Formats: sequence, structure tokens, C-alpha cells
Amino acid sequence: MSANALDTLWLEERKLTDLIKQPVIRGILDTLLAFAVFMGLWWVFMDPRGVLRWYTPQYGYMYIRWLLIIAIWQVYIFNFWPFKLEWMEKAHPLKKGLILIAINFAVTGLLVWVFYYNIFGKLAIPYFSWPELKKTGLSDFFSREYSSLAILMMAAIASWLSPIWPSAFENYPWHKLKQPAKGLTVFAVTFLLTTYAYLIFMHPHYRVLFYPWQEYTAAFPWWYNSFHTLSGNFNVGWIMCATVSVWLTETILERYPFRLVRSQPWRGIAGFLFILLLAFILFFSFVFFQDMVWGVSVEGAKRIMAPDWRYLHTGELAVILLTVGLVLYFYFDNWPRKFSTEVNILIRVAITIVVAVGLHWAYYKYSHQLLGTQAGYSHPQQFPMAPVILFINVMLYHNWFMDGWPGKRIKREAEAL
Amino acid sequence: MEKDFSRRSFVKGMAVGTLAGYFGAAGLSSTVFKSQLLPKEKVNLVDIGQIKGLKIKVISETSWYDNNVFLNDVKKAGGLLVNQYEIPWTREGVKAGYLGDNLGGFSTYIEAELMDGKVMKILLDSGWNPHWMDKRFKEEGIAEKLAKKEIDFQVISHEHIDHFFGIESTMRHYPDIPMYVPKGFYQDGFDLLKGKSFPKANVKNDHPHKGKVTVLDSKQVNVLYPGIALMTFDVPIILRVFGEQAFVFNVKDKGIVLVTGCCHQGIISYMEEVRKKIVGGEKIYAVQGGLHISPFEDWDPQYDDLIMAFNKYGVQKIGCNHCTGFITAEKMIKAGLPVVKGTARHMSKRDIYLGNGDELVIT
Ligand SMILES: [Fe+2]
Ligand SMILES: [Fe+2]
Repeated sequence: MSANALDTLWLEERKLTDLIKQPVIRGILDTLLAFAVFMGLWWVFMDPRGVLRWYTPQYGYMYIRWLLIIAIWQVYIFNFWPFKLEWMEKAHPLKKGLILIAINFAVTGLLVWVFYYNIFGKLAIPYFSWPELKKTGLSDFFSREYSSLAILMMAAIASWLSPIWPSAFENYPWHKLKQPAKGLTVFAVTFLLTTYAYLIFMHPHYRVLFYPWQEYTAAFPWWYNSFHTLSGNFNVGWIMCATVSVWLTETILERYPFRLVRSQPWRGIAGFLFILLLAFILFFSFVFFQDMVWGVSVEGAKRIMAPDWRYLHTGELAVILLTVGLVLYFYFDNWPRKFSTEVNILIRVAITIVVAVGLHWAYYKYSHQLLGTQAGYSHPQQFPMAPVILFINVMLYHNWFMDGWPGKRIKREAEAL
Repeated sequence: MEKDFSRRSFVKGMAVGTLAGYFGAAGLSSTVFKSQLLPKEKVNLVDIGQIKGLKIKVISETSWYDNNVFLNDVKKAGGLLVNQYEIPWTREGVKAGYLGDNLGGFSTYIEAELMDGKVMKILLDSGWNPHWMDKRFKEEGIAEKLAKKEIDFQVISHEHIDHFFGIESTMRHYPDIPMYVPKGFYQDGFDLLKGKSFPKANVKNDHPHKGKVTVLDSKQVNVLYPGIALMTFDVPIILRVFGEQAFVFNVKDKGIVLVTGCCHQGIISYMEEVRKKIVGGEKIYAVQGGLHISPFEDWDPQYDDLIMAFNKYGVQKIGCNHCTGFITAEKMIKAGLPVVKGTARHMSKRDIYLGNGDELVIT
């Protein structure tokens, strides 16, 4: 990124060459390819008419969120360790991709089934474990749903906080460490922050989720009086906006403007605050737009009139925005790049917003038929974050793990000279 | 500073920032202060007229007998979004069930006395398990009234299994009964009405409907008779169902009485719509039927929002049952809401709310 960066990722140093030369055709083909793979995965794992039918919705969504954060860890925190960067340059993208995706899936499974279900849920907090909750007499179905929400929220918070370190702080003050020491340190620090954030923003939701209220183990939802709901969806919404902000700044916004700050840790702090500010602007603007379209939400109401759903929907709107931004970044080479940074960014933001409005329209028009999700806007089973993030995962696999092959490949050293 | 940072772009950036800040601030104020800061919107209220009195009898509110069996059927099929016509529902070997069958059904019988003294007889929904519904229809005299065509019309609140799959129990007595269904019915629903069977879901109808079917939509308040109206809600519902309608009665000297099937639209949203659209809507006297809050004794903090807000509407009788859920009823009573007690007969499990055979009379 900027010339004075303390630490860079392999991803930033990787030089790609185009196998399909015409950029627009390549972009469209790449997008279609990613979409086709997404549809296949959705059908096998998620679709309520498909094979495994995990989109219940929280259970499947949990896996999708963990696949995402683990990909982020693999690439942003561990910089592909334990693989040698030399191997990353030379291995065939297909082979590399399959191995890295297999690791991504395996670590997700291990974390959910071993760490959460059998260690953390068993020995610390039962609602993190499907089998433990079931033992309390709750139905199998809701035991799985409730525990999935808790587990996925850890991943959601982590995908906001973890990438801030490599991206805004450039791993300061650990930038000089070698892998895996660097990765482990950044992982430990960001996951500690994630855990505290979880306890503050999500744990109170579980005080009121169980009957009777668990008043000795969790705080009363402190946001209730100002935000008119006991539901943690208030925090889910703005945290989702924060995650989206991180990735918008990392891609189409080119870490602008905080990268103009000259030294660390000030650049990192500016980055963190900028991301938070952008998150709140997204969050409250989206609430405002919904209030304008549907009228102000009503306390205690359901569906589109429910305050908690409105908050959740800000996250859904944000993630639709991000998807478009990522397609522009990954598949259309972050077009345009020929004007001044500010103009480039403004054009990208404008394109992203316009296309996102179209995608939003298309999603709610076709997802019921195409993905088997619930018809209409608001329903616990109409949860655009799940399919949209799975599509993002596919794009990340394709670009991070497979160098955008077969549209692109790594430049050999001879070519680079 | 890098050299691409110019004063002109700084000004541009400020402009974008200000615009974004404006939306953010507007959102924050409407989030925290709700509608207090906005001018009241004006709408044309509909005068639905009045009735003299109302008798509401619960024919069956027990839709299934074992929650875990029901939920396992759903989970095995792939969750709450799977098409209800394709789920193999458990119909045998359930200890808590009716003759081993896990299925029951939902149906309510209503008599509304018009101002001229004529009594309108209405059947809301037709349950699920035909054996159970046949028995209940017989015990409560519904079968006889249907056979004599004494019942004026049937309303299907929504397409759900437990309200609609038992349609045969109505049709075998009165196949040309006039019928009202909400907009959103799938073709499968109309096919079942016309006699198609769905072996996978274990549902059939050997007595095709021959009467008139009216599909009601959400654009207007549908006044059927003076003082009797139906409101339709475009609401997405579990098991691939869409759309629900519910009754609005206006009882002289008492106020508005709402009678629902499942109330998937949410009771608060429903009351808000009534306030917004119907003359006298600010005085809701009673609510009766399923309130769909914790049907599986599941929970969500959003439901506490609902209970905490319910008190603000001044409802004097809450004759809830069915998918309201026992946890909800306990919490509502604790919150001081006037839940009407039942008698726990005919397989209704508890007397905490109106059960099978119980009646709510409003005159
Ligand atoms: Fe129901
Ligand atoms: Fe229902």
C-alpha cells in the first residue's frame, strides 16, 4: 500500500498477469464463475431444497462466518504460514487453492465441533454448545440455532477486529516478528479483544434469551432504553457495518484517508477510529433510509416494523454494498485507477452504491426462487447475510488462495523483470 | 502528507463527509426518539360499522401434541424454510398425541350478531389431522351446522398445515361453502382445496371444494358485513407460507375485537395497523386466538420487547392460545396483562389460556 508501510502482506506483493486480456470480459467471466461455484456450494450445504440443508438459518450461517474469519486469519494474520511464500509463488493455483480451502474447512470444523461444542461450551458457557444446551431440556432444533448464533457472533466480531491490526496498524508493534510468532501474537491480541467485545455486545442478549432471565450471569441489555429493543441485533447491525467498513477501506477506499497519517501507532489509531465512524454513518444512515421507506419502527412489533430487525437489516444492506465493492476490487481491478486517489475513490463509491441498489432489488426479487430463502423482506429465515457472505467467501478463495486463476496467474520472475 | 492530497479534493471530501454525516445524524435521531420528532401521518380511516355482540368458541387450538417430535420433523427435513407440502409429518407412535398421531389442528367458531339481530356464523380455519378435527367438529356441533349449511362462510387465516391441511373435515359436510383465503396462497393450496393429495406430507382431500373462493389482499380493509372485517398482511411465514388475514370486529359499547389464526404479522403490528386504518381503532377491547410468539417454547429477546410494549395498548381481554406459547403466557401474566383463563379440557394442556371447547363472549 503506501510506500512507508511498516509491514506488508504477501498478497500486496504478489504480481499477477492476465490470462484473459480483455478486462471487462475477464471481469464478467470471473464474476459468473464465482457465482456458479457459490450456487453449487449453496445447493449442497445450505439450500432448504438441496442436499444438507444447513440454512436453518443460523446453523449454516455459523459455518459461513467461520469460513470467512479463518480465511482472513490464514491470509491477513498468518500470511499463509505454514506454507513457504516460495511455494505460494510456484504451486499451481488449483492445487494451492484446494489445499488452502481444505485447511479452511478443517479448521472451521475443528473450532465449532471441538473447541465450542466440546470445550468452551462444555466447561464455560453452555449456550456455546449445541449438545450442552440440549441437555438442559431445550429442543434439539433451537439448541442448535441459539448456540450457532453465539458462535457465529464471535466470528463476526473477529472479522471486524482482526484485520484492523494488519491493515491499519501494519502489525505494529509486532511487525518485526517472524511467522508464526507474529501471527500468533496478533491472533491472540485480536481474539482477546473479540472476546471482551462479545461479552459486552452479545452476552446480555443471552440474559433475556432464556427463561427465566439469567440475571446473575449477564448484564441487562444496556442499549434497551435508547434503542428500543432487548435484542442483540442492535449490536449485530452496527458490528456488521464495522466489518464492512474494514473491508471497504481495505479495498475500494485504499485505506484512505488514514494512510496519510505518517507514523504508527497513530496511523492505526486513526484507521480504527475512521472505520468506526464509517460504520456508524453506514448504520444510522441505513436506519434512516428504512424509517423513510417503511415508517419509524414500533417497539414490540414484528417483521419490517420491528426495531431489532431494522438494525439487523442495516447489516444486510451493508454486506450487499460490500459484495459489490469486492467484485469491483477483485474482478474489475479496482477500476478506475487513472485519476487522483480521491476521484478514483469517489467514482468507485458511486458505482458501488448504484450497483448495490440493483443487487438489493434483484436479491429480494429472485432469492426466494433461486436460493430457497423466505419470500419478502423480513423474516428470521430471510437472512441475506448467509448467501451473500458465502459468495464473498468464494471470491476470497478465488483471489487469495488461487490468484484469480484461470483469469489471472502469478507473474513468473522472468516476466517481472 | 502525500502529494495527491490537494485542497480541492479536501473540499470534495468534506462535502461527501457532511452528506454522510447528515444521514447518520438523521438516522440516530429517528432511532432514539422514534416518531416523536416526525409529524403525524394522515390516513383515511375506514368505518367498518358495528355489531351487537360476539361469541368466540375455540374448537381446537392444539395443533401438535409433542413439540420435539414436530421440531424433529422440521429439522430432519432441513429447517423452518422447507416447503410444508414436502415434510413427512409424524403421524404414528407419539405418546402425547391423539391416538398416537402428533397432529391436531386449529379452528375457531364465531357467531357475530349484526345490529339488525341476524347472527352470522363463521368458521375460521379447518385444523390439520382430519380424525381429530372430525371428532372436534362433531363434539362442538360444527359438523351438524356445516351439513345444514348453517355456517355462512369459512375463512382460512393462512395456508399453514395446522390451519388448512384438515380442510377435508369441513369439505366432507359442506363442499360448496363460500371461502375466503389471503393473498399469498400457493398453487399447492388451491390444488389441495380442489382435491389433490400430497402423499409425502401425508395430506389429502377427498372432498373437492365446489364453492366460491375469494382471495383477499392487503391493499384495503375488507369489510364483509357491517362491523365485520378482515385485514390481510403480506407477511412471510415459516414452512414457505406467505400472507395471513385476521378478523376485526367492532362491538357496540365495547370496542374493537381482534380474532386471529396464528397472527404471524405480530400482534403489535396488527394493532398498529388497526389504529391507523379503522375508525375506533384506538380502543381495542379484546384480542383472541394464536399470537405466534413462542409456539415451540423457544425464545427471542424480541418477544420481551413485545410483552413490554403490549401494556401500552390498553387491551382489556387477551383470549390467546395456540402458538402464543406457555412461556409467553406466563410472562404476560407476570407483566400484568389480562390473559383469559381456560379449562384445560379436550387435550388442551394447561388452563393458563383459552383451550379447546372454551368460549369468549363479548356483549
Ligand atoms: Fe398455527
Ligand atoms: Fe401458522
